[in-house]
Amino acid sequence: MRRKRVCLVSYGSTEYSRKSEESVLTHYANAIRQALERARLHKKEVRGLSITTQASPDFSPHVAEQLGLEVDWVLNGDYGGAGGVMSVRRAADAIECGHLEVAALVGGNSFDKSVAHQRPLEYQRANYVDVYGYGGPNSLMALIQRLHMETYGTTLEQIGKIALAQRTNALNNPQALFREPMSMQDYLNSRMISDPIRLFDCVMPCSGAECVILASEEKAKKITDKLVYLVTDAEISHYQVADMQPDKTTFGTKVVGERIFSEVRREDIDLLEIYDDYPIAVMIQIEDLGFCKKGDGGKFVDAHDLTYNGDFPVNTGGGELSVGQAGLAGGFLHIVEALRQLRGEAEGHQVKQAERALVTGIGWLNYGRNLGTTAAIVIERRQ
Amino acid sequence: MAEASALKKSLPKINKVDAPYWQAAAAGKLVLQKCRDCGKRQFFPRVACVDCFSGALDWVDAKGTGKIHSFTWVRVPRNPAFKEDAPICYINVMLDEDVIVESRLVGDSKNQVNMGDRVTVVFQETHDPTIKLPVFELMSSPR
Repeated sequence: MRRKRVCLVSYGSTEYSRKSEESVLTHYANAIRQALERARLHKKEVRGLSITTQASPDFSPHVAEQLGLEVDWVLNGDYGGAGGVMSVRRAADAIECGHLEVAALVGGNSFDKSVAHQRPLEYQRANYVDVYGYGGPNSLMALIQRLHMETYGTTLEQIGKIALAQRTNALNNPQALFREPMSMQDYLNSRMISDPIRLFDCVMPCSGAECVILASEEKAKKITDKLVYLVTDAEISHYQVADMQPDKTTFGTKVVGERIFSEVRREDIDLLEIYDDYPIAVMIQIEDLGFCKKGDGGKFVDAHDLTYNGDFPVNTGGGELSVGQAGLAGGFLHIVEALRQLRGEAEGHQVKQAERALVTGIGWLNYGRNLGTTAAIVIERRQ
Repeated sequence: MAEASALKKSLPKINKVDAPYWQAAAAGKLVLQKCRDCGKRQFFPRVACVDCFSGALDWVDAKGTGKIHSFTWVRVPRNPAFKEDAPICYINVMLDEDVIVESRLVGDSKNQVNMGDRVTVVFQETHDPTIKLPVFELMSSPR
């Protein structure tokens, strides 16, 4: 749908760590504090909170109390990797309805062992996937990648080119855990995890948090002169759910793309932040968004430069593949990077003409198909 | 205690909806749900038809044959108890009833697996004598 008066006014990012046992609440607080300081907001002005994490079993109202926030709106954005984009949609709805003016949305992860962590039931996975010696998301994405390669002739080099371009983008991003160049040989020779998924197809789990602050247009104008608007957004969960022979190589992103591009033109998008738990997921989303035909993702990648100064900039800060995946903060990383770009604050990896960005989220691998939830937003800088 | 149970291979947590499926598997039969109202066959077991939302679902026998829709070799199983089996050939099977199921390929010839290969169901014993897992083997006849 078309949005009129919702702005993304600030962001905060913590350092990412592979070892820190700092609590997820501390990460949340650090990310929110940084976002507030950037916007010169007092926490009392934040009247909405959304949390997304797998690191704490606490309900969202309890977390608001722990952070000392009195709020008019609170949400557990439990949409997996789509949590960031979906939380933006929910918060924008509430702001447009007039329920509140300023909302802080956070996603985070922690290796804090002092907090008991109980996984949800996930009946279909527990009873019909885990029992076979399942290898986690790596294995489910491997089934998808093999089908893409077999069906369309996609090569490992084409998939690897995405990982390489993102690594180039990460070289000057101080937040990235991986800041050494990667060669195609490095990619191809990386350890096999779940054929054909290799180590460098996978993200590095880490701890940390990301925060985005949304505000009504009226409030935004008082907060910042770098006005970034939410232009349009869409989501779908369980695309093809009734199809017992689903096309595993097409995500719900296809429907999301149709909705998004009924409002804006593809050629007006300056940069794309595409949820990248795996390079193949980026390629499939490029196809599903209609930048090329289904199956032509490999050729598209061959024909374009995906680096921040290329003709089709994707995951300009390195994405989760090179920055690291702080659990479900992964779905917020892309929004924060897009915001950084549109505000002209992506030092060392700034896209030259960054006025409009598309950000996607995909979450929860589902049974026999691919992604449970798929979503996207377009944001735009206006003078 | 936690460690001892963590080293056990995962078993289904059988519930009211899918108990008939697991009872059939224990008896050496692969079954699917079929909607009495619209005829749709579905898997995994649910409380309603994925097409028409009818609650009138029957359990019907599947032939137990199909073809490899996709596969991967799991080097690092999520549950360490499966490590002794790695690499595990984790598969999607397109059943002859046109339903995709997730499973595992077993048998001596599994290393020769290719996309499209014909497979047939077999039932694997678990550490719980009342539970058997439907898994698949390559059929010896040509694809």
